[in-house]
Amino acid sequence: MPELIQDKQIFSLLEVTRSIQKTLSDRYASSYWIKAEMNKLNYYSHSGHCYPELVEKVNGKVVAQMRCTLWADDYKRVNAQFLKVLKEPLKEGIKIFFQAKVKFDPSYGLSLHIMDIDPSFTLGDLEKEKQETIDKLKKENLYDRNKKNILPLLPQRIAIISVETSKGYADFMEVIEKNPWGYKFFHMLFPAILQGENAIESINYQLSRIEKVKHHFDVVAIIRGGGGDVGLSCYNNYALAKNISIFPLPVLTGIGHATNETVSEMVSFQNSITPTKLAEFLLQRFHAFANPVNDATTTIVRESRNLLIAVNSVLQSEAKLFRSITGNLILKNNNTINALRSNMIQTARFTFKHENEVLLNLRQLVRKDVSLLVLNNQRELMQSSITIQKDVGAILKTAKQSLTSIEKNIANMSPESVMKRGYSITLLNGKAVKKIRDVKPEDQLTTQLIDGVIISTVESLKKKEI
Amino acid sequence: MNEAIKYTKAFEELQLIVEEIEQGEISVDELSAKVKRAAELIKVCKQKLTSTEEDVNKILKELEE
Repeated sequence: MPELIQDKQIFSLLEVTRSIQKTLSDRYASSYWIKAEMNKLNYYSHSGHCYPELVEKVNGKVVAQMRCTLWADDYKRVNAQFLKVLKEPLKEGIKIFFQAKVKFDPSYGLSLHIMDIDPSFTLGDLEKEKQETIDKLKKENLYDRNKKNILPLLPQRIAIISVETSKGYADFMEVIEKNPWGYKFFHMLFPAILQGENAIESINYQLSRIEKVKHHFDVVAIIRGGGGDVGLSCYNNYALAKNISIFPLPVLTGIGHATNETVSEMVSFQNSITPTKLAEFLLQRFHAFANPVNDATTTIVRESRNLLIAVNSVLQSEAKLFRSITGNLILKNNNTINALRSNMIQTARFTFKHENEVLLNLRQLVRKDVSLLVLNNQRELMQSSITIQKDVGAILKTAKQSLTSIEKNIANMSPESVMKRGYSITLLNGKAVKKIRDVKPEDQLTTQLIDGVIISTVESLKKKEI
Repeated sequence: MNEAIKYTKAFEELQLIVEEIEQGEISVDELSAKVKRAAELIKVCKQKLTSTEEDVNKILKELEE
């Protein structure tokens, strides 16, 4: 009861709060269905109770705010419902549609006591958010952006966003590291939280780190698995989906779940339903490269052999043809030559015979001519001989007459004839004296006359005056 | 990226040679040279399938810069 002090009615705080509590419980006796945004869940694991902080925003600005209570049993039931319907736990950042009573407690003040939360409203809201993310990305022309990257022929260097201890990471590694074909991958883990609200920031952070060293990688693989199907609505978040979409390398997702595809998976370069499938996709790319390379050897060897066989066969048939053609040609030419030869022999024989006859004729002709010529010449010779004999007789007669006349002259000039005419020869020692000087007094001279000699001695000499 | 261009080009050239040889577009005169080239290309491609040259420590260093 209030005290009276100096005519003033004084209430204790408890009285006031109890009064409020009474008024409110009278006024808000029944429960209400309310919609609000879960700003903070404030789950206390120790007690299992939650003290959610609910807000209502208009254009991002908080216009109403209230503390709530969600007792452990209610929380467990509601959370199970959420996981079943939404594949998401009851969490912060979602809009909820809940049944609550207005409570006022003297110690704790005003709050809403949440009795039940209808997950289907939240589901709709999450779907709406997902659709909004899709619409926004499409509007900004970013929806297909990552798919336009070019996946290298061999996606060999992988930046992995995952959790080292997760089953999905282990599955992925098992497939790519132990592949029986000896394909070699380079991979580097960029650890991140992969589910729940914190995943957005965590994955975005690692994407930004990878971007810094992107020249060392061919692809980014976001790998999650073994965590059940809860906490995946983060992959519908606009900021995360956009970062994946605009990432300069192909982003491959393998976040292993059985729910509808999230926006992040939709915009990724390639989505695989599990990390194992993602690893197999990469191996497939290697096969697509390795198979033609391996087949190339077989094909080249086979085709080369075929080509050589074909060329060889052409060559052989050409050789055969050549042989046959040349054989024919030789035979033909041989025949021609043989024909020519016999022809030539025949012609030659004929020619010889003919020429022989001509020669014989000529010989007879020549012989006749020659004997005629000889006869003529003999006749001419005889003629000449007669002429010569005649001429020679005349010449001889003339010469005889000349000789007789010369003989007469000579006889007239002989010493006897001269001495007969009174001339004599004076000799000294047997030699004729021709000059006066050959003689000196007392020489005995012999003077020859026609009928004897006179021997005399020289008395004197008298030289004739000239 | 140079590395990627190198093996991609090798792969494409190899495919071209295989196609040519399958189509019978290679004469016996060119055969030897083409087969030799194909062998080189196959070596480059197989090498690429089974090795990488990336270094985690180098990447970590770049991340710290």
